[in-house]
Amino acid sequence: MKGRSVRLSIGPVTFRNRVFLASGPAGYGTEYAGLIRLDRLGGIVTKTITLKPRPGNPGRRLWETTAGLLNSIGLENVGARAFFAEKLPALADAGGRPVVSLGAEDWDDYCRLLDVASASSGVEAFELNMSCPNVERGGMAVGGDADLLGTYVRRARETLAGAIIIAKLTPNVGDIAALAVAAAEAGADAITAINTVVGADLRPGGEPVFRRVKAGLSGPAILPVALDAVWKIAHAVDIPVIGAGGISSVEDAGKFFAAGAAALQVGTAIFYDPGLPERIVESLEAGGIPGPAASQSLSGSAE
Amino acid sequence: MISGARGRFSAVLRRNKRLSPSCSLLVLQRPDGFPDAYPGQFVSIRVCESPVPLLRRPYSIMDLTPGSLSLLVKVVGRGSAAIASRRPGETVDLVGPLGGVGFPDPENGTAVFVAGGTGLAPLLFAARTWRRKRLGIKTYLLYGAGSRDELLRDLVAGEFSACRFATLDGSAGYHGDVVALCGDLVKRKRIRAGTLYSCGPRSMVRALVEGAGESFGDHHTSLESIMACGVGACRGCTVPLKAAGTTALRTVCSDGTVFRANDIAWEEWEE
Repeated sequence: MKGRSVRLSIGPVTFRNRVFLASGPAGYGTEYAGLIRLDRLGGIVTKTITLKPRPGNPGRRLWETTAGLLNSIGLENVGARAFFAEKLPALADAGGRPVVSLGAEDWDDYCRLLDVASASSGVEAFELNMSCPNVERGGMAVGGDADLLGTYVRRARETLAGAIIIAKLTPNVGDIAALAVAAAEAGADAITAINTVVGADLRPGGEPVFRRVKAGLSGPAILPVALDAVWKIAHAVDIPVIGAGGISSVEDAGKFFAAGAAALQVGTAIFYDPGLPERIVESLEAGGIPGPAASQSLSGSAE
Repeated sequence: MISGARGRFSAVLRRNKRLSPSCSLLVLQRPDGFPDAYPGQFVSIRVCESPVPLLRRPYSIMDLTPGSLSLLVKVVGRGSAAIASRRPGETVDLVGPLGGVGFPDPENGTAVFVAGGTGLAPLLFAARTWRRKRLGIKTYLLYGAGSRDELLRDLVAGEFSACRFATLDGSAGYHGDVVALCGDLVKRKRIRAGTLYSCGPRSMVRALVEGAGESFGDHHTSLESIMACGVGACRGCTVPLKAAGTTALRTVCSDGTVFRANDIAWEEWEE
């Protein structure tokens, strides 16, 4: 049975295991050649792509905090055309199972992006990033409004027939479970929780570190925030919850499964411990950490 | 220009020698399978098992031989302090070699190096690499530090065709910064115009570009930055380069660390 029980099925799509790389830190996946064995993971959630290329934010983009990392990258990406033509095939060649993260500044761009994504063959899973704190438009503004979120998810569900739709939620809201319910009712196949937590820091002289002042906090510092969100969401919806936020050890991974996650994403930790995702997979395969079956609210089906 | 061979390694620290009040030389046993590296490439070191400090710290490769990997570590904060306090026999978790572009060979057989502080490390690696390849390159080092104590003169002895030193407090060599020393040598026609290679504080490299650097050929500089991934994935360590009427952001870790210094849009690059 070894290796079999760790597989994850979401709708018609089965992943080889329950450990993914989170969108953002993983880039387009292939950057980690030689450091992370992509073919050992359940999947790689690619850097969020937008319809047009984005240069990202000017000025400082990274700032280390106590047990955390603030970033203000600003969704720098090569744009949908170059992504589907170059980055996605390269990831597949490297043995990575892609989950494509989509983002948009407004409704028109979003609909056009979905059309482009729909025309690209072979993508089985999309994650909707309507929760980025580092852009002026789109992002969190959509992800924080249940009606808007539902509208966006519904459109993706209609356009991307045959692929699974995962909604990634922001913790920077009053009631994240209500947003998860809205996404599920609109047809999302799974929920990823959480995106970064809004934060800021100041230099010793009092100047904000970042031009936009606020940035997104990730890393071990946000793990309790993510666990709380996963717990609430797992008790509110019947679709699988993919836990993300601050996972820094095999023990952390176990906590997410115990909180009700069907799978998880490792993000910031790959910066300092690129071997962690594989170690979590190995531990799951060996039965060394409590698998998702330990949770009452298991929603992803284990084979 | 550089192959993508790199990996995660555990390296045994063989020697840790304090060279100055703030700077230590770490000589690691080269791990089995550690790929060859080019001058300008770096390794990133995990500070500790705990999440504080969180990120790996990048260090230029100062030398790489069949048996050893040498790094110059200046203590500037908690991370570097922890790394500099490692003892011989301990293992160091490192990733590398990283960096997509290194120092090119000089065009006319003459290399002028301008180093500020620990910016010496990749330049020393370049000089040694070219010497080992028996390229017959003349290498001139202009090297500045804050004071006599911080000037690592023993480390550069015998490594270059000629060396000139500068200290900000005048306690050794030229009294002033290394860019002023360079300007002085140019003015007095005491230095040959070769390809320029620099590494040091941003203010130093920028002053070189806007001053004495014009008297030389191409100017290649190895940049440093706070980094997260070190492989070009996270897009966190960007540097703005001049591009047809605008600027284009490139990553220090994967599009560099070496750039043409004249291409950098210095006024837009925040510390």
